[in-house]
Amino acid sequence: MLNSKYFYYLFLINALINIINYVPRTLINDRFAGALPSIFISMVVGTMLLYGFAKTISHFGGKGLPEIFAERFSKIISLPLLILYSGLWFVAGIITMISFVDITVRFVSPDISPYAVIIGFLLVVSFFAHLSEESILYALETLLFLFTPIILYILIKSLLSPDFSWDAVMQVITYMWTKPKYGTVAAGTFIFSGYFNLAIFNRCFKRLNTRYIWTIPITGLMILLVTFLVPIGYHGTIGVEDHIFSWFSTADSIRMELFIIERLLFLFYTIYLALSLVSAVIHWHVGLELFKGAFGPKEGNSGFKKADWWILGSFSLLTVLIMSQLDQERLALFGQWFLNVRLVGEFALLAVILFVRIRSVKKA
Amino acid sequence: MVRKGSGELSLWLADQLSDQIDFEQLKLGPSKEVGLQYMRSLTNSDTVKRYVVVPSYELKDAKAFEEYIAAFPGTVRAEDRRTAMEYVLKGFAMLTFASRCYLVDAVKVESSGIGEAMNESIVQGPRDAFSENIETNINMVRRRYQSPTLKADMLTVGNISRTTVAILYDDARVNRQVLREMKKRIEAVKIDILQSSGEMEKYLTKERFRVFPTMIVTERPDRVVFNLAEGKVVVLINSNGFAIIAPTVFSDFFTAMDDKIQVPMVGWFLKITRYIGLFLTLTLPGLYITFASYNPEILKAQISLLIAGSRAGVPYPSFMEVFLMLLMMEFLTEASLRLPKAIGPTATTVGGLILGQAATQAGLVSNIMIILVSAVAISNFIIPLSMMGYTIRVIKYIIAVLAIAFGLVGIVISVVGLILYLSGLRSFGQPYMKMHVLEFRAKGDR
Repeated sequence: MLNSKYFYYLFLINALINIINYVPRTLINDRFAGALPSIFISMVVGTMLLYGFAKTISHFGGKGLPEIFAERFSKIISLPLLILYSGLWFVAGIITMISFVDITVRFVSPDISPYAVIIGFLLVVSFFAHLSEESILYALETLLFLFTPIILYILIKSLLSPDFSWDAVMQVITYMWTKPKYGTVAAGTFIFSGYFNLAIFNRCFKRLNTRYIWTIPITGLMILLVTFLVPIGYHGTIGVEDHIFSWFSTADSIRMELFIIERLLFLFYTIYLALSLVSAVIHWHVGLELFKGAFGPKEGNSGFKKADWWILGSFSLLTVLIMSQLDQERLALFGQWFLNVRLVGEFALLAVILFVRIRSVKKA
Repeated sequence: MVRKGSGELSLWLADQLSDQIDFEQLKLGPSKEVGLQYMRSLTNSDTVKRYVVVPSYELKDAKAFEEYIAAFPGTVRAEDRRTAMEYVLKGFAMLTFASRCYLVDAVKVESSGIGEAMNESIVQGPRDAFSENIETNINMVRRRYQSPTLKADMLTVGNISRTTVAILYDDARVNRQVLREMKKRIEAVKIDILQSSGEMEKYLTKERFRVFPTMIVTERPDRVVFNLAEGKVVVLINSNGFAIIAPTVFSDFFTAMDDKIQVPMVGWFLKITRYIGLFLTLTLPGLYITFASYNPEILKAQISLLIAGSRAGVPYPSFMEVFLMLLMMEFLTEASLRLPKAIGPTATTVGGLILGQAATQAGLVSNIMIILVSAVAISNFIIPLSMMGYTIRVIKYIIAVLAIAFGLVGIVISVVGLILYLSGLRSFGQPYMKMHVLEFRAKGDR
């Protein structure tokens, strides 16, 4: 059983990865029409969802969603539910990977085939998606430990740069009192979605310690504001809409004068590639375990089982297929659709788990 | 101080040490009324025989024998349990008479067979290395670890070689699960000949395809003692100057015994240096391929031009250059290892200096490549334990190959993959790599 700090890491990785999953893009599209109030609303909504889910599932210490469902529901209900959520989380990983392929081809290696890149990603992600939960969390901790200082450096560097226009930021802040939209709220709440991984990772927590959960809305709000406002500060209130991956364009506008690498972009790219891969590994692990859990109880976690290969193989194939069908525009649209669907799914999941909890309390 | 009866003291000692395989007790004298107790591995049996056992039969009664023993130089009266235990574990022999106990100095000091640590040399601190004799080795450990909870279990492995294998552990601190697993695995080893710890280490791991060592093989008794106190299990093998320590974590391989001796700040600095060295030796070849062939725009323009200019005369792609030079470096390392001591330096000079110089002048490799290869080799040697050093030597090729395939992406993929792989490894059921630096308990944790 692991220390509860790993739960906060799960939150943090999802929050950091928002840049890849079209959150800034969605928010920036509506910067004059409700993005800013949506950020505050999504902080409240996201924290509520997170707190509700984490608190409820902490009563089922050491059990993942499949085990909890297996105890309370018949297979007819739990099977479609689990497959649905498994699919949702597989798609999250797919979007992260496909967008990163796009970023790679666009910003770093234009002469490399996107299929080669995606196969590289898929190999790593599928190979490590069936590590045990503990192992993945250890790796996550190591990577966050290595990269958080660099992320902070990038953040400070970007905020202190003379090219950063605070006027543009102020300009956008004046649009505070506009009507928020569902889409932007859905995008904003993605920051807090890391808790969803508890559906499987709760297996390693005996009793989740929610004592420091108040740090999450604060961190989440900061990340959201940075995500939204820094690109505006660099590209201006109007120019910012020209970029799909606004953060990568932003990183490309910053220079490190005294380092052997001059363009901050490459540092940023390297870190985010590493973080995206781990995030995809986590998402796919959850997807895989939910999928397997839909069909049967969890047997020992050791070894590479045949079923794993089939599931991961077919999802890898699906990823390549999806990639071949989507151009940049449609990919962005797909990403935004995912954000919208996800929020509904999260509410539904919270309702289901609360229902299970209430029933089990009544029974006891 | 409460005067304990001599019989009770002797019984207590026997009770405490009875499950130590090298504890021996006898009754001496014609009437068998004098008790003799000592640790075989720590006590010089010749001294005991000549000055204790023989006179006990020659003198006329126990009284005379007691006077003889009391007059012995270096003999101490055993006043209480603590002194008795302390001295017996030092190598004294305890003699129990009707009314009191004596501790006779018969300490065995094995100095002739003990050499200096060659593979893990350090600047300050103890220089002893394990010898080839298991009794001596246990003696060396016991001398540094004078606690009654230190246990040694003896086993025999090998149908023909009948090699004695000792499992050492601190009974009060050891992780039981690891100990059980270790015993089970050693008993499961079915081979004819066992000669070295490295061999044993191989039989003790289950995974067939593995690159990373999950056990430390060391020649330093101080490292063994340090790890015993941490609750780890140590396996000693007769006729072999190396001990196996398990379970281990990744960072153990980057700890030199020097770090304990240095001033804390210096120790941390050295530790961080090692990780930087690790990072460099792993990624430099891959990065060179990336910067020369895939993404020259990543570096500052001047540096990219420098690399391109240096590579201007080189007639093949960067990865050929990298692999050629890395292989040459491996040959050089291997050659200087196997050559007799007298020729070794000549080979390295010829190989390293002259070959490197000539190769650049001939235009076969770039100047920067030579610098890089030396940097890679030197930062590889910074790793204190050679087993991990060998592993890292292999891993850097994997990263280089991925860099050929994917450029910068390949390097990031392989580094992330490496971290995930290491986190997935287990050493006797214990996690192999996690951030021990961040181990703290928050309020309200259970």
